[in-house]
Amino acid sequence: MKETVSEPKSQNASVASSRANGRRIFITAAALGVALLISLLVTRYFAYRDIQTNFYGQALVPAKEAFDFHLVDQDGKAFQLRQLRGKAVVFSFGFTHCPNVCPTTLSDLAKVYRALPANDQKLVQVLFVSVDPQRDTPAMLKSYVPYFNDSFIGLTGTQEQIAEAAKAYGAFYEFVPDSTGNPGSYTVNHSAITYLISPDGKWKLLYDLDQLKDSKKIIQDIERVLAGA
Amino acid sequence: MITRLVFLVLCCISPIALAGSTPVKIERAWMQAVPPVAEATAAYMKITNLGPTLLQLVGASSSVATKIEPMITTRTERNGQQIMGMEGVEHLEIPPGGVLELKPGGNHLMVMGLVSHPKEGEHVKFSVRFAPGDQQIDIDVPVLQQEPK
Repeated sequence: MKETVSEPKSQNASVASSRANGRRIFITAAALGVALLISLLVTRYFAYRDIQTNFYGQALVPAKEAFDFHLVDQDGKAFQLRQLRGKAVVFSFGFTHCPNVCPTTLSDLAKVYRALPANDQKLVQVLFVSVDPQRDTPAMLKSYVPYFNDSFIGLTGTQEQIAEAAKAYGAFYEFVPDSTGNPGSYTVNHSAITYLISPDGKWKLLYDLDQLKDSKKIIQDIERVLAGA
Repeated sequence: MITRLVFLVLCCISPIALAGSTPVKIERAWMQAVPPVAEATAAYMKITNLGPTLLQLVGASSSVATKIEPMITTRTERNGQQIMGMEGVEHLEIPPGGVLELKPGGNHLMVMGLVSHPKEGEHVKFSVRFAPGDQQIDIDVPVLQQEPK
């Protein structure tokens, strides 16, 4: 009797233990699944980080929506960054009375542009945004900016428009009287950063002045951005 | 081989100005080509003081501009971005045996009040002035779009 009684007991026990086993397998499988998912996400994330940070320029991670500035071009026409969707845009802030940083920036960018394959040249637009509208009229910019390369466009605007654009890109500038004391004669301290905007309007990269010397690496960045990186 | 050697030697010598009295060597001088509307540009060079005493670069004169003065470039940071500024200085010092490098984005000779705008590939004459005393060195400065390699 004891045995017959004990039998269903043991059966019960085995059912219980198989249930426990099933639950254990389920938990293990679920844990494995979660671990797999996490590792997958982590690798994907690092691959993404890699793409975003393996640029020569300093990458914005994640890339920001590029501020759509409203300015005036060198022909006196209204100009919005949005007009250049579909092209990679390379631009910097400066002023034409600048003897050192600005001609250096524009000459370096001209060198980069000239070295781009002809097909890519059509997909790249270089802009120079003046922060000195008092002296840099559209006509002045038209005689200054395309000197470095025919395709380059000079932009200006009202003090407010320029200030808004500069603020959006973290750029800084201030007017400093020069030694002559003449009010029409001043210099401008400004951030010497070059910005790269992707064809879909994302602010991807920035370069400091010294980085512009290496045209090859900048071209690699531009080509990757054109390819959708 | 010999012509090649002569060529190499010539290449090394030609950009160097060695003045009789001022113990200074000026190499890699060039002036940034700028469009005709520009009022200013910059000139760059490497100046070595070969003498035993401190020299000061005080400026230069040239028929292309009304004023050529030493400037320093300041770099500060704001919003994580580098701000570059420019300040006129009385002179730039070159210690005995030392070197002064004037480079794009760095210290330079600011060429102000351009009266002519020489094109890339043209050459201009500079009389570079040093103190103490009124020491002058005449050099030939090529006008270029890019820093020579």
